[in-house]
Amino acid sequence: MSLIRQVLCRSTPTLQFAARWASGQDLGPIDLNTALARPDELEQRNKLSGKITVPVDVNLSPISGVPEEHIKERRVRIHIPPKNAMQSGTDNINTWQIEFDNRERWENPLMGWSSTGDPLSNMNVQFGSKDEAITYCERNGWRWFVDGEDKPKKERVKNYGVNFSWNKRTRVSTK
Amino acid sequence: MMHAALSQSTLQSPLPSPLLIDELTMIRAPLVKALGALGSPTHQIASRAVRTSAVLAQTPAKAPEKIEVFVDDIPVQVLPGTTVLQAAAEVGVEIPRFCYHERLAVAGNCRMCLVEVEKSPKPVAACAMPVMKGWRIKTNSDLTRKAREGVMEFLLMNHPLDCPICDQGGECDLQDQAMAFGSDRSRFTDINYTGKRAVEDKDIGPLVKTVMTRCIHCTRCVRFASEIAGVDDLGTTGRGNDMQIGTYVEKLFLTELSGNVIDLCPVGALTNKPYSFVARPWEIRKVSSIDVLDAVGSNIVVSTRTNEVLRILPRENEDVNEEWLADKSRFACDGLKRQRLVAPMVRMPNGELQAVEWEGALIAVAKALKQANGQVAGVAGQLADVEAMVALKDLVNRLEGETLVTEADFIKGAGIDVRGSYLLNSTIAGLEQADAVLLVGTNPRYEAPLVNTRLRKAYVHNELQIASIGPKIDLSYQHDNLGADASLIKDVCSGAHAFSKVLEGAKKPAIIIGADLLARSDGAAIHATISEYCQKLNKPDWNSFNVLHNNAAQVGAFDVGYQAGAQRAVDAKPKVLFLLNADAGKVTREQLPKDCFVVYIGSHGDAGASMADAVLPGAAYTEKQATYVNTEGRPQQTQPGVSPPGMAREDWKILRALSEVVGTPLNYNTLDELRSRMEQVAPHLTRLGQLTPAGNNELSAKVTPSKSINGGPIDVKQKELRDYFMTDAISRASPTMAKCISAVNKQQRLNEQSKQSVAI
Repeated sequence: MSLIRQVLCRSTPTLQFAARWASGQDLGPIDLNTALARPDELEQRNKLSGKITVPVDVNLSPISGVPEEHIKERRVRIHIPPKNAMQSGTDNINTWQIEFDNRERWENPLMGWSSTGDPLSNMNVQFGSKDEAITYCERNGWRWFVDGEDKPKKERVKNYGVNFSWNKRTRVSTK
Repeated sequence: MMHAALSQSTLQSPLPSPLLIDELTMIRAPLVKALGALGSPTHQIASRAVRTSAVLAQTPAKAPEKIEVFVDDIPVQVLPGTTVLQAAAEVGVEIPRFCYHERLAVAGNCRMCLVEVEKSPKPVAACAMPVMKGWRIKTNSDLTRKAREGVMEFLLMNHPLDCPICDQGGECDLQDQAMAFGSDRSRFTDINYTGKRAVEDKDIGPLVKTVMTRCIHCTRCVRFASEIAGVDDLGTTGRGNDMQIGTYVEKLFLTELSGNVIDLCPVGALTNKPYSFVARPWEIRKVSSIDVLDAVGSNIVVSTRTNEVLRILPRENEDVNEEWLADKSRFACDGLKRQRLVAPMVRMPNGELQAVEWEGALIAVAKALKQANGQVAGVAGQLADVEAMVALKDLVNRLEGETLVTEADFIKGAGIDVRGSYLLNSTIAGLEQADAVLLVGTNPRYEAPLVNTRLRKAYVHNELQIASIGPKIDLSYQHDNLGADASLIKDVCSGAHAFSKVLEGAKKPAIIIGADLLARSDGAAIHATISEYCQKLNKPDWNSFNVLHNNAAQVGAFDVGYQAGAQRAVDAKPKVLFLLNADAGKVTREQLPKDCFVVYIGSHGDAGASMADAVLPGAAYTEKQATYVNTEGRPQQTQPGVSPPGMAREDWKILRALSEVVGTPLNYNTLDELRSRMEQVAPHLTRLGQLTPAGNNELSAKVTPSKSINGGPIDVKQKELRDYFMTDAISRASPTMAKCISAVNKQQRLNEQSKQSVAI
């Protein structure tokens, strides 16, 4: 195999081609223009392709269609939702979320359900990280604050035996 | 079954089994206790001091090597002794459970957590079984699923199908796990038409409703009561199908932490009595907030619907309240709907308060302020938030007033110049590691129930030794009452007392002083004596000096520069006196000059509003975004769950509006601007949730201890449970708290009656 590779490397005019063959990977057909281009042409092409990142703050608020009142007056709380104390499950509470400041709700006289005049009160967006949430708020022009932090869980030693230990206060008297 | 297997093995092995030794010592244990009781108290203390140091000497320092196990073929490194359930949690696999709770002892009786382990003939109970090296745990294999389905079938066989009328419905562990792991059909056919097992309901008090037929015997409530609350009232009686959870004799389950068994109960057997049939979990909105009814600053979740607070649940915070909540904080929320001030009021010439518009009320106050010529004073009560206190201070200072005090008393003279001299410096979570604690003139059980659970936790798991100076009280754990004589403080602090040796020999000693004790005439001397002694006890990373406050506003008020004691405000003879949530009745009309104009800003019509000339309705803690600093100095903020009733507004906004009318506008218009002003006053106030420790050596005993400690015997205000329930404007307005007090009184009457009948 190595011998073949050496031979190929020496003999073939396009180095790229040989390398592909030797690696044994199937990468699809080679573009003829690329294969025949001169190195300086390739460099020029590389420079023109790809994305350019311009480091400016993106502000979506003028074009997002959100009423001005809901951009300037709102405070966004970025947080991890707490575990429900009534249950032991911990699913769905491991992501950062945003939540708008609470506005008045009232009982609707028609059905007795809860009504609100706040269009953003039911917006529930989840984020992979705190920074993503912050970026999202900045882009939309909302004032934000981060509540709580992502602390690692405390390790606990659980031991069935201490219930019956004879010289410790962990001994259980009530069953 | 297990018992039989073990005794069989004892027959075979030449060595006595651990179980046998256990049984022998079980007999011996009461004997040892009885002998201990005979000895003198000093002898007891000294002997325990020896034991503590022996325990400390043998603590291993090396961390043991981690072992590898596989959970569903995912390798994970865990410490030896880790249970299967914990190892699975490390890789994000949650094993279903009912009886297991991470803050309670392992019981292993529900069997829901059975999982298959490769090469093991039977499924193992994941919550109790420690992992062994190289184990392959299968949490989703056929055997595991079959085991779960079987357990679920047995549980449901005797569980009523009353989810539609059950308060737990929608947030029930049994419901969820029956859906996820149960069988899709029932094999239960009632051949003899006898019905399912039925159990009589118990009456265990006005807070917890019981429907005992729904009980699945997980014993979480039993373990909570005996381990965390320290009240051995709950237990099991009977066996098998006849097993029942209860108090055996009819008795109320009365502790300051009883509400937590509602959270712990995985089914609807124990539910919230005031909240019963009020709402479903999918209707309510949850707002994360902070509790302000004691100085602990417990994290809570406020459940609301249609602008109404329905219930309050604890929120997990390892540093403050773990996962628990005291009963007052949980159940006093119905006081938020009663006795509320909904409109501004001004006292008319005929002496009656009359509701007016905001404009009229503010102009009336502004007129009085213009005539006051700087003779303005402010008193902040126990529910005042830091924002409002800063705004009030700025306003009063602009009007050239100087007197700004808290309603609660503290040390007279210079005692609060250094931050470390009024904080719980060991921190609430830190007390868990303490190994010797002296309580001076405080009853943490009722002043700060969640600090007391930490002390109890250290007592159970860390062999903590506790002594108290003060009246004989029940703290829910064993402690030495050294006496109530104030001179004992001097004895201990000079090193002459037997308990001084315990404190000096301890790795992490702590002295906790009650805030009320320091309000005495000799409070400064007590403070100076103890803080000087604590200098000696302090370790490089441990501050042993602690003050336990009993109201949420106190530390924040000291942080922004308020002085202690309402008497100062009276002495200043003000023309205008601001009462900011001051409802304890420390200032009365008789003490003030005749022409003094009293302005009350607050949420409830209590002592403060009844004596005021102008009442400006403020927001309660569930209605505003406000900062409170807890007794260890941790600033935390509440979140608005509902809007203030009627014309009530946030307290700082009222003061801001008033300043505009007076003509000296405060230079902040938004909460953010006010917060940056707070940051100028005290930078730590905006680091929400974080603890800024007061330096270890900052604490200096500046007051010359020449003043002797001679104020008579030491007393605490809250001695019994009935003193606990009503301590502030919100809990005084709460009908549930009133029911609790009458329940405690009823229980006491019953106890006395039964004593008499025994005597006859």
